[in-house]
Amino acid sequence: MNHRVAITGTGLISPLGDSAGDLLSALCGGRTGVSKLQDFSSNGHRCHLASRLLHFRPEKYLSGRPLRPLDRASQLATAACGLALRDSNWSSEQRSNFDVALVLGTMFGGMHTIAEFDRTALVSGPASVSPMSFANTVINAAAGQAAIWHNLRGVNSTVAAGNVSGLWAAGYAADLIRYRQSNAVLAGGVDEFSVESFLGFERTGLLCANGASPERPIPFDSRRNGFVLGEGAGFLVLEDLDHAEARGARVLAEVKGYTTAFDYSQGRDSTLAVRTLVRSMHGALSESGFAPDDIDFVSASANGSVSLDCVELMALGLVFGDSANELPVTAIKCGIGEALAASGPAQLSTAIETFRTGKLPGVVGLEELPLGCPLKGIRSKAIEIAAKRALINAVGFDGHCLSIVLASLDK
Amino acid sequence: MLDCSVNQFHPRRSRTNRIVVTGLGVVTSIGIGRELFWKALLSGCSGVGPVTAFDTSRYPVHLGAEVKAFKPEHYAFTHVPWPADRASQFALAAAKLAVSDAAALSLPDSEAEGIGIVVGTTSGEPRVIERFDDDYIAGENERIGHDFISTYPCGVLATNVACELGLGGEVVTIPTACAAGNHAIAYAFNALRSGKAQVMLAGGADSFSRITYAGFARLGAIAPDLCQPFDLNRRGMIPGEGAAFLVLERLDHAQVRSARAYAEVAGYGLSCDAHHMTAAHPQAQGGARAMEIALKSAQVDPSQVDYISAHGTGTPTNDRLETIAIKRVFGDYAYQVPVSSVKSMLGHAMGAASAIEAVACVLAIADGRIPPTINLINPDPECDLDFVPLVARSHKVNVALNNAYAFGGNNSSVVFARCET
Repeated sequence: MNHRVAITGTGLISPLGDSAGDLLSALCGGRTGVSKLQDFSSNGHRCHLASRLLHFRPEKYLSGRPLRPLDRASQLATAACGLALRDSNWSSEQRSNFDVALVLGTMFGGMHTIAEFDRTALVSGPASVSPMSFANTVINAAAGQAAIWHNLRGVNSTVAAGNVSGLWAAGYAADLIRYRQSNAVLAGGVDEFSVESFLGFERTGLLCANGASPERPIPFDSRRNGFVLGEGAGFLVLEDLDHAEARGARVLAEVKGYTTAFDYSQGRDSTLAVRTLVRSMHGALSESGFAPDDIDFVSASANGSVSLDCVELMALGLVFGDSANELPVTAIKCGIGEALAASGPAQLSTAIETFRTGKLPGVVGLEELPLGCPLKGIRSKAIEIAAKRALINAVGFDGHCLSIVLASLDK
Repeated sequence: MLDCSVNQFHPRRSRTNRIVVTGLGVVTSIGIGRELFWKALLSGCSGVGPVTAFDTSRYPVHLGAEVKAFKPEHYAFTHVPWPADRASQFALAAAKLAVSDAAALSLPDSEAEGIGIVVGTTSGEPRVIERFDDDYIAGENERIGHDFISTYPCGVLATNVACELGLGGEVVTIPTACAAGNHAIAYAFNALRSGKAQVMLAGGADSFSRITYAGFARLGAIAPDLCQPFDLNRRGMIPGEGAAFLVLERLDHAQVRSARAYAEVAGYGLSCDAHHMTAAHPQAQGGARAMEIALKSAQVDPSQVDYISAHGTGTPTNDRLETIAIKRVFGDYAYQVPVSSVKSMLGHAMGAASAIEAVACVLAIADGRIPPTINLINPDPECDLDFVPLVARSHKVNVALNNAYAFGGNNSSVVFARCET
């Protein structure tokens, strides 16, 4: 008998608030974290928008020790881990006898730190680089820094699967618990907005174009023309259900199953892209023991991207068949942008909050679904819903797909 | 037909949850392909020489272990629409060599749903960001390519190789620095045991990087002349590069296709010091814990271990602490088990290192010979184990333990065991 996987805490640093509750009410209120890029606006870029953490002050979350060894991505991850641990009501004293594991997903790691380090060596010579910065040039730096800060001595891993990385970390963590390699895992993701990622995405032409209509990202809308880059960090505390109950923890939800699949055409073959996402959703449903009709809502990966949103619509139509018509679907990247590895944990956290509050955010700005769209249940406004089971998708630019089924705890 | 139904090490394992190694592919500074690599390793060849990847005149050190014999045109990417960089080329070459070594393993033309790849790495594709920086410093942002986002992200090694080979299963990169190869094997072990994958390619790849070189040089960690693990006069590591992949599959899957199994992955242990980003715990607690967890998960008593492939970087601190960790776990038996560091020959191939060392463990089991620690001339009294100095040794190996440690306080140990026939 495999062990059951409980979620006992969530921690988020997002442009719309630092808790699942704050983020969900902001999204349900139609608010968005997307704003004009202050420092890039005059540079003649195609995109003028991003969803950034302009308010992030690490000392607000992390105190008592020097922050200087942590780069910004590490600070974001360490802060979100701290919020998740606090939310799970598990003090460092109580944790001291456990080897808590950490699985961190990231698309770019400390890319900005790496690039700055390299540029310093080029401009001022290799002797002038800082050893402290060098420690942060390894891609697992954020996981190492968070482990040191929170004394996490268990498995410490970093997974990279593009913008699917954060949800991937949660899946890997669930397996570590199910196969008894850990009792408790902090799992989530971090990616920061940087000049490197912005310039890189600018070149792809995938971002929302300045002056286009609509100018903002509207997932699934027939007029959508791109996404905006976001940033953030999100972590969840996953525990063996028995372990959680033994310490009297509040159980927020249960991870029932997940599956990954890879589209080796990376979207160039749209049929294969749809089939791959169908495979990951079917796999997750089958592992969870649920039929599509058992699912109360979907938290979609859709971010406003012209091709990937269409792939997800078609795949959802195939998996849910006739019931796709009524299926409630939310797409929170309308509010937080494409936060890369932080997106999946934000989707998981807000889905849990939907179980609790009965509120499902709408897709802000949605006016018209594409012709022939098999899903009619996508709304621009928040709805009230009695939900116990959710399917969460992450679909990558680079072919990765991952689906997770989440359920509120059945006693 | 392979028969692993009776196994002296773990009688309680069933055929469906035992994971065997059926193919090996390596790209190293001393040899490309399993046979050349193993021959060079047993002969004590060194891959160290002056760095050619970039100009080292501004650095205090000048040596590296580069894969100079590599011919990327032999492993061209034809299914990836952008240029794949050097680490991806290494990864593809090692993956293809592993697949062809895994007798009769055919990757189907159609969607290979049950086949995945997990790649450990330290730097991914560092040359892509290095070119970005060259353009950025020159004020030529417009030269930053439209393919930067497709060629740089941390996950690009796994996706590039999966696209080229047409793999549709679990495809992921584990960038856990110098322990990444072991982490990748551990990940694949889980994916196979859970039944989510039928076959996994697991390993690591890294290419020579000026960023890594600058950092280790600044730390004073690079040896000026020789890499001398466990020697009294050791002065550091030598940065290297390369790739290695192991084809891993469930025993029942290997038996159905009558595949030869070199060895099995018996278990693993991962831990974190949670102490310091670049310095190991002063009592080597985390390293010892990883070994203990690995042996326990493999249901192996320490006294059954016949060979330890050390992390053995050649830095003064690493080698002293690893010796302490081995003694903590093995007690008096520590003095009887042969331990060697192939980094004495290959330098430190970063995320690929523990994957290459895993191949060495598997071949030690299959071939009954242990690679040496070269350049070990004056033993350090603090490193007083049997480090197999200078020459290879014939020695029956039923169980081998592979250690790897990394920045971030990461410790990893993987246990390989003979698959009895």
